[in-house]
Order: sequence, then structure tokens, then C-alpha cells
Amino acid sequence: MRRRPDFIVGMVVLATIVALLGSIIWVRQTDVSRRRQHVTARFQDVGNARVGNAAVIRGVRAGRIDRIELDDDGSVMVRMSLEKGAVLPADPVVVLNESSLFGEWQATITERAALPRDEAIQEQIEIVDREDDLLPGATLPDIAKLTAVAGQIAGDVAAVAGRVDVAFDDAAAKELRASIQNFSALSATLAGAVRDHTGDLDTLSAGLRDAVRTLNRAARSTELIVGRVDSSIASGELRQIMKDLSDAAADLKRTTATVSGMATRLSGSQGHLDRFLVSGDSVLTKINGGQGTLGRLVTDSSLYVGSDSLVAQLRSLIVEMRANPKKFLSIRLF
Amino acid sequence: MTTTTAIETLGVRVRHGVERVGDATHYVGDVTRAVRDLRTWLPEAALQARRLGVDSMPIGMFIALFTGVVLALLASYSFTNAVPLYFVGTLVQKTITLELAPVLTGLALAGRVGANIAAELGTMRVTEQIDALETLGYDPFAFLCVPRVLAGAVMFPVVVAAAMLTGVTAGWGASVALLDVSSSEFVKGVRLFFDTFDIRYGLVKAASFGVAVTLIGCRMGLRARGGAHGVGAAATSAVVYGAVAILVLDAIWAVVWLLGHAR
Repeated sequence: MRRRPDFIVGMVVLATIVALLGSIIWVRQTDVSRRRQHVTARFQDVGNARVGNAAVIRGVRAGRIDRIELDDDGSVMVRMSLEKGAVLPADPVVVLNESSLFGEWQATITERAALPRDEAIQEQIEIVDREDDLLPGATLPDIAKLTAVAGQIAGDVAAVAGRVDVAFDDAAAKELRASIQNFSALSATLAGAVRDHTGDLDTLSAGLRDAVRTLNRAARSTELIVGRVDSSIASGELRQIMKDLSDAAADLKRTTATVSGMATRLSGSQGHLDRFLVSGDSVLTKINGGQGTLGRLVTDSSLYVGSDSLVAQLRSLIVEMRANPKKFLSIRLF
Repeated sequence: MTTTTAIETLGVRVRHGVERVGDATHYVGDVTRAVRDLRTWLPEAALQARRLGVDSMPIGMFIALFTGVVLALLASYSFTNAVPLYFVGTLVQKTITLELAPVLTGLALAGRVGANIAAELGTMRVTEQIDALETLGYDPFAFLCVPRVLAGAVMFPVVVAAAMLTGVTAGWGASVALLDVSSSEFVKGVRLFFDTFDIRYGLVKAASFGVAVTLIGCRMGLRARGGAHGVGAAATSAVVYGAVAILVLDAIWAVVWLLGHAR
């Protein structure tokens, strides 16, 4: 009989302990089978992050923070357990940030290139980024800090407003009123000056009107000329003149080229003429010197005399032949 | 004459108060000393554990069941349009484990267990059974008080643990069935701020409640005088003092431990 209460009590206690421990393990997502992968990140400060907060990759919950502890060098080590098969992004960094306005935080594992373009975050990452297996991490300010900054800004604005309020006291108001009165007096003075110089202004206006009329006439003349030019342009005469000028210029260009060619050839002919004259001069010198056959013909009269005699003899021969051809010509058929 | 009487009355009251404290301290000392008498109380321990603990589990779980349901509905009512509904899970888990399961279960057991012990021991006292035990050489503290106090210290946390599980599960079921909260959202809320400290705190508090309720029940029973009326008065006193002790201890634990942990 004594065994029965013992057994019942033992069973109830055991069942309660097992159920309680099982619930705790399930709620805490404890890695009993050690099948999860662990990633550790180093931070300067972890804000309000705590054990149990979600670890998120690309917006999807992939694990949880299961340990936060201080390191010897003053940094904070955050160990996360990720689900088996969760793939980290390339060049990963970890950002701790609020996931809602109700104090929830999460560890976002992201690429370094996808970090917010904020100098403070980049500086945090650079400080904790060392050549080891730990991921560098940064912490975004929570809503309380942002609110505090906003409150500080509001306080500064209030301080400025207060200073303006202090600066714009009764004395400043009196000075402003005196300035306005001075401005009024200045306006009255200017009005008097204008009245005094109204006649001068009339004369100046009349001269100005004459000048304007002259300008109007000049403008009309100019307009007439421009109209004519425009008419010429519109009727094509100017275009034809320009075309003719262009053709003339082209002809002139071709003529210039021709003359240039002729000048070149004339220069060559002059060279030949020079050389011919030199050669001619040399030949004439030789002829005058009696050198050569022609020189002898020019300088020796005996050839002329002989030629003259020869001509006379030829004439007498021709006369004899006419008179007695049979003497010189014999024709036989066989 | 009047002044002298008033001073005498004050002196009597102070003396009675000091005597009560002294008696209570003496009583606790006697029970503590009796723990060494292992052969006397050990055979009774399992029986008392079953009577005080196992038999009390249904009432503890029943209270927790409805507490969890009502808590989930109240949380949903409070959070409407202001706080995400998955915080229903957070609130149910935190409130049940830290406060409601230990205190409500403790109060229920103060009525059931405290009155039971006081009535039983009071009846034994008025029928001189305790005197007979002493005559037979049994230490009434070792034979009657120690097994009940130890059973209360051990079994109250067990009952409260069962109440915790029941309460959170009931809140979960109520959230899914009656509210626009999905199961995953409720679990997310439970996991969001869960800390094993919550469980430790609730169970240690429950153990202290168990010790207080059983000590008071035994004390009131052993002091019962004058027959059935005295037994009834002892049972009533046990329930009242037990409930007060639970609330006072709850406040003390909150100040001493919970506040320190929060800091």
C-alpha cells in the first residue's frame, strides 16, 4: 500500500519536470541535437539586443541570438545559432537594429555593400573588423536615441527662440520704431527733391522725346533697308549673285592654276632659251673666228668666188645642153 | 487610573505580540529540528505529497486553464489597434509564469491544503490523539508537520509548473480559436521575451508558498482548542493567514529578487 502513493507522486513529479523542461527547450529553441550552425559577431555595443532575439538573413528569420558576452578587449561577442543550411551572404556583416517600435531587436546578417550609407555605422564596422573568423557588427541607434536627438534639436530651437526673445526686447522695439521714423523722414525728403527737379525733368523728357523720334526715323530707314535686303534674299537675286561670284571665283582659281602652270613651263623654256643663246653665241663666235665649215664660208671669199664661177659654168653648160641635147643625151631602144 | 490601565493594556498587547513571534519562531525551530528524525517522517512523506500535491493538481490546472483563456482575451482587448497581437503570447507567458500561476494556485491550495491540515491536526489535537502520540514517544512535529511541510515545499512547485503549462497552453488555444492571432504569432510572442528566470522565479515562489501554507496549517491545527468550534476556527485561521502569507511573500519576492533581476 505504501508503494502506491510513492509511485503516483514520483510519476507526477517526473511527468511535470519532463513537460516543463520540454516546453522550455522548445520555447528557447535550444539546439539539443547540435545540428545548427553557429556564427559569432563582434560589436562595440549591442544596444538593447538580448538572448533570444531573431537572426535574420535577407528578411527571413534564420536563427536566434543564443549568447552575448563581453570580450577581453572590451568588445561584445554575440553568438548566433542559425538553421542548418542557412547560407550567409558574401562578405557578411551583422547589424543590430530594432525590428519594431516595441523594443524588439534583431540581428540582420547582410552584405557589407548593403550597409546603410552612414558614417557612424561604417566606423563601427571598421573598428571591429579584424583578420579573424568573427563577423564585424554595428548597432543602429534605437528609437529612444533618435527621440533623444530630436528632443535635443527641439531644445536647441527653443534656446534660439529664447535668445531671439531676449534680443528683441523693449530697447530693440524702440530702435526699430526710430528706424521706421527715420525712413519716413527720408521718404519725405526724397519727395521734396522730386518736386524741386520736376522742371528739369520736363526739359530732359522733351530732349529725350526728340532723341526718341530721331531714333524712330533711323529705325524706319534701317527697317526699309532690311526690307529690301530681305526682299532681295527672298527673290533669289542675292543667291544668284553669290552663285555667280562663286563661279567666277572658281574660274579665277582655275585660271590662276593655268597661269601658274604656264609660268612654270615658261621658266623651263627660259632655261632652254638661255642655254640656246649661250650655244648660239658660242657658234657665232666660232663662225666669226672662222672656225669650222660655216666659219670658213663666212670668212673665206674664195669659196664664194669658186661658187660664182661654178654657177657661171653651170649656166653655160645648160645653154649648151639646150642647144645640142644629143651631145649629152643618147636614147636607144634595143 | 485610566492612564495606568491603558499602559497596562498596551504592555499586554506587546507582550502577546512578542510571545506570538516567539512561539512562531519556536515552532519553526521545532519543525526544523524534527527534520533530522528521518525515520519518523519519511514513511509519511509520499502519502502527504500525494494528498497535498497530486490530489491538488486538478484544481490548480483548472484555475490556470480559465486564467489563461481570460488573460488572452484581456490582452487582446487591451492591445486592439495599439500593439501587435503577437504580444498576447508575451503577456500570457510572462503573467502566467511570473505571477498568476504561483499566486492563484497558492491561494487555492491555501484554502484546500491549509484548511485540510488545520482541520485534521486540530481534530487530532481536540481528540487528544496528538497527546497519545507524544505518550507513545512520537515527535508530533516529525510525524505530523515535517512530512506535510516538505510535501508542500516539493509539490507546490509541481502543481504550479503544471498550472503554468496549462495556463499558457489555454491562452494559446484561446488566442488561436477566439482571436485573430495565428499559432505562429502567439509562439513568436512567447519566445520574444522568454527567459528561464521566469520559470525559476515562479517555482521558487511556489515552494515558499507551499512551506508557508503548510507551516501555518500545522500551526493552527496544533493550537486548536475546545472541540469542533476550535477546529473550525483553526481551519479558518489557516486559510486566512495562509492567503495573507502568500501575498506578503509574493511582494517580498518581487522586491528582493524580481526587482534585483530587472536591474
